[in-house]
Amino acid sequence: MRYLRLLALFFRTELQYELEYRTNLALEIVQIVVIITTSVGAVLILFNYTTVLNGWDLGAMLVLLGCFYLVQGFGELVLQPSFEKFMEHVRLGTLDFALLKPASAQFLVTLRNFQVVQLGQMGLGAVVAIVGLGRISTLGPGEAVAFAVALVCGFVLIYALLLALSTFAFWFVRIDNLMAIYWSFLDAGRFPVDIYPGWLRVTLSTAVPVGVAVTLPAQAISGRLDLFGLAVLVVGSIAAFILSSLFWRVGLRSYTGASA
Amino acid sequence: MIDVYRALFVGQIQAASQYRVQSVLWMLFSVIRPVIFLAAWVAVANAQGGRVASYDVRDFAAYYVALSLVSNLATSWNAYDFEFEVRMGRLSPKLLRPLHPIHYAVVENIVWKMTTIIPLLIVLGFVAVTFDARFRATPVHLVLFVPSVILGGSLAFLGGWVIATSAFWTTRVHAVSTLWDRAVFIFAGQIAPLALLPGALQTIALVLPFGYMRGVPAEILQGAVDVPTAMLLIAVQAIWVAIFYALLQVVWRVGVRQYTGVGA
Repeated sequence: MRYLRLLALFFRTELQYELEYRTNLALEIVQIVVIITTSVGAVLILFNYTTVLNGWDLGAMLVLLGCFYLVQGFGELVLQPSFEKFMEHVRLGTLDFALLKPASAQFLVTLRNFQVVQLGQMGLGAVVAIVGLGRISTLGPGEAVAFAVALVCGFVLIYALLLALSTFAFWFVRIDNLMAIYWSFLDAGRFPVDIYPGWLRVTLSTAVPVGVAVTLPAQAISGRLDLFGLAVLVVGSIAAFILSSLFWRVGLRSYTGASA
Repeated sequence: MIDVYRALFVGQIQAASQYRVQSVLWMLFSVIRPVIFLAAWVAVANAQGGRVASYDVRDFAAYYVALSLVSNLATSWNAYDFEFEVRMGRLSPKLLRPLHPIHYAVVENIVWKMTTIIPLLIVLGFVAVTFDARFRATPVHLVLFVPSVILGGSLAFLGGWVIATSAFWTTRVHAVSTLWDRAVFIFAGQIAPLALLPGALQTIALVLPFGYMRGVPAEILQGAVDVPTAMLLIAVQAIWVAIFYALLQVVWRVGVRQYTGVGA
């Protein structure tokens, strides 16, 4: 409860900060709209030549693209700004300030910074998904719940992966390149993970679980994810969260501050 | 001028050799997106019994391998750097030097492309084998590819600079360059080979400069166009390079008068 209140506080301060630069905010929203509409255009061009892509019809593809922007939007909303700040803290030795506060350091560091404008990306992603859903007839409460669960699992998976990656900053300090690679791999999530050849599919579903985080929610909402698959996803996400948190704590032990 | 360039090259090569891992990682960006769209088109072709219009699965592989190489050689990141320099006032000392700032960028651009070409070719060879690419290029195509990719790269570079100079007026060019990048994404042959763009989009791609930056050299390397068409396309590329060169002269001259160091 206290953590939720803190989270709301962080969010509010970051919102106030972004509202200081209104023209910039408007321009960023324009960019989001342009990026998403051109991506939808790319999908439409592909479907100009086919009605189905590896078992995904246009409706299902739009749902998938919507999920992609929901997941990527979530990453850019809070994870990317927070983790960048975290690495800077390690480099400058200012992580001490977070460690001394009376709350979980992992929470304070990894959910601290927001790019509020990215809510626009998530919102527009949701719109694309809803348009896609309009073309799929079967949507019961079961699918809706499964979708919500799968999407949250997707968020958790991405969080766990970024946490594990950024933990390396404790030893190597400069790891922005590693993170850049991660973000470029994320781009592959815009298509269903099963279209990729073997080696890439394995990478995208295990090492960089982008494929899982985007594809499974889209499958859940179109009723193509069975209960067993969902259960595996939930257990896997919880395990990933716990493991990455443990790893973070191990890394934290070798943090020494600025001149210690 | 030759001495100046030699000195600039030495400096840039020394700078680049300090960041070897970084430049190789950035190279992956040129590969990842073409591979994503290659996989998508292969899925489309498989759903359509192995081919889409004149492209079969192995043609798509060849096209996207070629496109990936061209993207790496015809990329331009000046707009982002330039915005930073204008905003931070770092452009001012550069303007005072006797050499136009563009020369530093030219050398930086060439050095980066030279240092990444070998690892890039290794990665692309791997992709070509995985997807079983088939090139239809004849030796003549390979010869024509050289001027075509140089013109495409020059066009992308000059275009990037024209976009970048808008920072003289707006300070922030991020939004403008996003628009530009997305136009490249749609029209330059990234989402589909130019031949497969639906009617109106194909016309736009061939009327505007975008298709000539990446799609045209890639199609020539793949061998998708016959030799007379290729020569015609190269001629159009040359015209666009001339237009953008002239345009840059004009906007630079007007814009640099507009520029004031922050706080002036």
